[in-house]
Amino acid sequence: MSVAVAVAVLVAGGVYLVLQLGLVRVAFGFVLLGHAANLVLLASGGVGRRTAPLVGGATDEEIATTADPLPQAFALTAIVITFGITVYLLALVAAGADDDPSAEKSPAGEPDPARSEASAADETEGPS
Amino acid sequence: MILVWALATMVVAAGLAPFLAARLGRATGYPLAAVFVAVLAMVMSQYREVVVDHETIEYVRPWIPVLRASFALRLDGLSLLFSIVVLGVGALIMLYCPRYLSAGSGHGRLFGILTFFAAAMLTLVLADDVVLLFVGWELTTLCSFLLVGGRGLAGAKPATRAFVITAGGGLALLAAVIMLSVVAGTTRLSEILQQTDVIAESPLYPWIGALTVVAALSKSAQLPLHFWLPDAMVAITPVSAYLHAATLVKGGVYVLLRFSPLYADRPLWHLVLMAVGLVTAVVGALFAMQQHDLKSILAYSTVSQLGWIIALVGVGTTAALAAAALHTFAHALFKATLFMLVGIIDREAGSRDIRELEGLWRVMPITATLTAFAALSMAGIPPFVGFVSKEEAYYAFLSTSDADWTPLGADWTGGLSAGIAVLAASLTFAYGFRILHGAFGGRIAQRGLYEPSAAFWLPAAVPAVAGLVLGLYPQVLNPLVTRTVVDTAFQVSEADLALWHGFTVALALSVLTIVIGGALFVRREQVEDLVLRVRLPFTGAQVFDRVYEGAIRFGADVGRPARSGATGAQLAWPLGALVLLAGVGLLWLRDPPPAPLPTTEAGDWALVALLAVAVAALAGVGNRLAALGLLGVVGLVVASVFLSLGAPDLALTQVLVEILTVVVAVLVLRRLPLRFRRVARPQQSAAAVLAVASGLTVGTATYLLTGRRERSEIADYLLVEAEEATGGTNVVNTVLVDFRGLDTLGEVAVLAVAGLGLLVLLAAPRERDPAPAGPIDTLADGAGVVFRIAGRVLGPVVVLLSVWLLLRGHDEPGGGFIAALVAGAGVAIMQLPRGPDAGPRLPARPLIAAGLGLAAVTGALGFLDGSYLRPLTGELPVLGLKLTSSLVFDVGVFLVVVGLVVAALDRLASGQVPVAAGDGDRR
Repeated sequence: MSVAVAVAVLVAGGVYLVLQLGLVRVAFGFVLLGHAANLVLLASGGVGRRTAPLVGGATDEEIATTADPLPQAFALTAIVITFGITVYLLALVAAGADDDPSAEKSPAGEPDPARSEASAADETEGPS
Repeated sequence: MILVWALATMVVAAGLAPFLAARLGRATGYPLAAVFVAVLAMVMSQYREVVVDHETIEYVRPWIPVLRASFALRLDGLSLLFSIVVLGVGALIMLYCPRYLSAGSGHGRLFGILTFFAAAMLTLVLADDVVLLFVGWELTTLCSFLLVGGRGLAGAKPATRAFVITAGGGLALLAAVIMLSVVAGTTRLSEILQQTDVIAESPLYPWIGALTVVAALSKSAQLPLHFWLPDAMVAITPVSAYLHAATLVKGGVYVLLRFSPLYADRPLWHLVLMAVGLVTAVVGALFAMQQHDLKSILAYSTVSQLGWIIALVGVGTTAALAAAALHTFAHALFKATLFMLVGIIDREAGSRDIRELEGLWRVMPITATLTAFAALSMAGIPPFVGFVSKEEAYYAFLSTSDADWTPLGADWTGGLSAGIAVLAASLTFAYGFRILHGAFGGRIAQRGLYEPSAAFWLPAAVPAVAGLVLGLYPQVLNPLVTRTVVDTAFQVSEADLALWHGFTVALALSVLTIVIGGALFVRREQVEDLVLRVRLPFTGAQVFDRVYEGAIRFGADVGRPARSGATGAQLAWPLGALVLLAGVGLLWLRDPPPAPLPTTEAGDWALVALLAVAVAALAGVGNRLAALGLLGVVGLVVASVFLSLGAPDLALTQVLVEILTVVVAVLVLRRLPLRFRRVARPQQSAAAVLAVASGLTVGTATYLLTGRRERSEIADYLLVEAEEATGGTNVVNTVLVDFRGLDTLGEVAVLAVAGLGLLVLLAAPRERDPAPAGPIDTLADGAGVVFRIAGRVLGPVVVLLSVWLLLRGHDEPGGGFIAALVAGAGVAIMQLPRGPDAGPRLPARPLIAAGLGLAAVTGALGFLDGSYLRPLTGELPVLGLKLTSSLVFDVGVFLVVVGLVVAALDRLASGQVPVAAGDGDRR
């Protein structure tokens, strides 16, 4: 139950973020959706048994309460792949893909907060 | 074999034509004409065998065995007749082109496509395989499109209309030939035609017929699909003469003739073709009377004449088929002549409008005489071949009453069809004289004109004179026409073509035609007034455009939601669909089985509450750095959830990923404004609604699947047997590197692609201008002494730690992924304080390549034990460590992930925006 609620929260947050303007928030949304997917993977193995699947010298009793290792393996690679995607999305942002086309950059490469604030306010109704 | 050589010669010539044209310019037409003549000679070398000995020349090669399609060519009488037209007229057009075209180069495309068209047309008429026939058909359509569209913007719309109509017909033909080959069990045309009985019993039989008729009528420009042909006259005159008068439009006639045995005893087939053909013959001729442009008159004349031929195919008796074959031939002769001469008039006098042209016979007597030859042939005046074919046609129409398919007692059919035919022919007579009178009659207005050189009019003179000679000696054609009819209808009937058949009904009809036509010509002014008053409220082209634009607008409407630059607009649709699908799925839900074990423990809710707060804050925050911090919080809470669920490897991985995500994101965010751009409120509300709906949907689904069954069999197997099978006690790691190594290899490949993509996306720092300092570079200049010292001390320790994690991964939490993330953090600690351009750096590309290569090669070692990626478990006691192939595989994973992290740090840390974005949207 708790995992389902956690998944619901993460999906809601993730969907909300990917529907925003600007690739950074979209990237963050994907991170949340990635978390949710990993939790769903774990949930598919059942969450009633929670002993870590480290079987060195484990007794039969311990094995009986050990979590399903297969979804864990899937989720582990999924986490790293999510990381790869996040990095790639962020690289897209860095390459100048669609993040805040309105944003002005100061010559030093450092954004001017006041300036951006103002331009952000100007753009509230702007089309994407 | 000779057929293949003929076809290959044409294709090679088409390929060489552009190169020739680059050197020879417009004179390329002469060598190409020689090629056409040579190929015609190849085909004609079989004349004796085909026509006299009644043999067929065949060539078969397997082509697409799966479809049972073969590359089969077959030359019989019908194919021979059409081949002669295609190659003969082609040669004349090629001779005509050099004088018609402007001097200079740039004609390579025209010559290439024209020659290729001839090859395609030859394929169509020689094909003995319905798939090959279809291919030839489509290629001719395509060539027509390219030739009409080659006229620039003026040709764009007509070319599109012609293409859509004829390619639509092509689809109908495709459907027909697929059905035919399925029903008959073969794609060989000659075999299909022998199975009329089998095909007639199939439920698809009427569909095949209907689709074939639609295809043929579209190609041959019959009402109501005729309008593409007059439109296509924007093409240059040689193209109009060759494609849109002599050959391409005869493709429909050819297919109808070919397929007619299948429907020989079906009255509907005959009635439809006769009705459409005769109506088109009359209406097309009327349209021709309305026109003043010589080319338009000829275009509508072609529509009318094709209707005439198709009506003859519809009659279907041997006499009618003979007349259709002869008229196909005669029409190619006189219509090609007329088009070429109109081109000459256009070039010399500068106009094609009969209201502007006047008295040209005084200055261009040869052109006038040749035009008269062709026009008289068209009008059906003896002794031209057009007269002979018209006589035959009258005789054939009259024979309708005696045809096998005609119901008993319908004797009036012959008289009716002959009557309509007389009307059409009278109109033809009238507009034929209208052309002659319009261009050549009256006084000369342009005295400065003179006869063009013989090279220009000679190509037109050949068919014009041929029309006269064949009119005087039509019996020359008897063997070919006889053979054509035999191969079309599978009935033997000796053709008896003659200029003089004695006093027959057909002769009387001819006289009647001349009388009516003459009267129409004499009273041409009243007739023209009358005809011009009869205008349809809309033209076919307008209807087509309306439908065409409507279809495009509909497509645009459908696609509009996806045409936004905003990712949100794109993603909303699949997300909405997900919610909808899940909602529908819920309706079918039975009571889910109860969970055998509790799915919640007391501490879980604290984590969920933390998570909810962090996610809500992340959704609402407007500051990028704050958002990044909150993202890290969410990641750490999720890691805690993993830990609480008994997944320490996952928790460890998650924590490390979270750290590195923050590092990479900071490098990117420093280039961006501090705050996010705000989104309009209605848009926000919509996003929120969809977000909550999605969350509820996925949450419900997760609840319904969580813990509803016992632990899986495979989990039991892995937990009990993993240590024995692999020597590792960390079961998750053994799954990754031993049991499911191929999955891992695929995932590592994804990471490698992401890393390489990143390297491509962001140009290397050293390739750019010297870096203006970014915030982190400022640190490098001295502000971050602590950071730098710490990096120097801690970095190597962290890297050592990662090696330890890598080595122990098989038994304890750790392994390639985790170790690599730790190493990546170490690299970050060491590298970032030094600034982007200082010191040696790890090369990302070789790391990724080496890692992926190592993992793949290690997998190959598995072949020693039977299969790819099978782990070799022999332990080598090296320095007290277990050395297994799994460990080497894990080292490969390690290297790829380190490469990815290094690539990100390397390219994002430099203080510049890449060149691509420097002067684009960002100003």
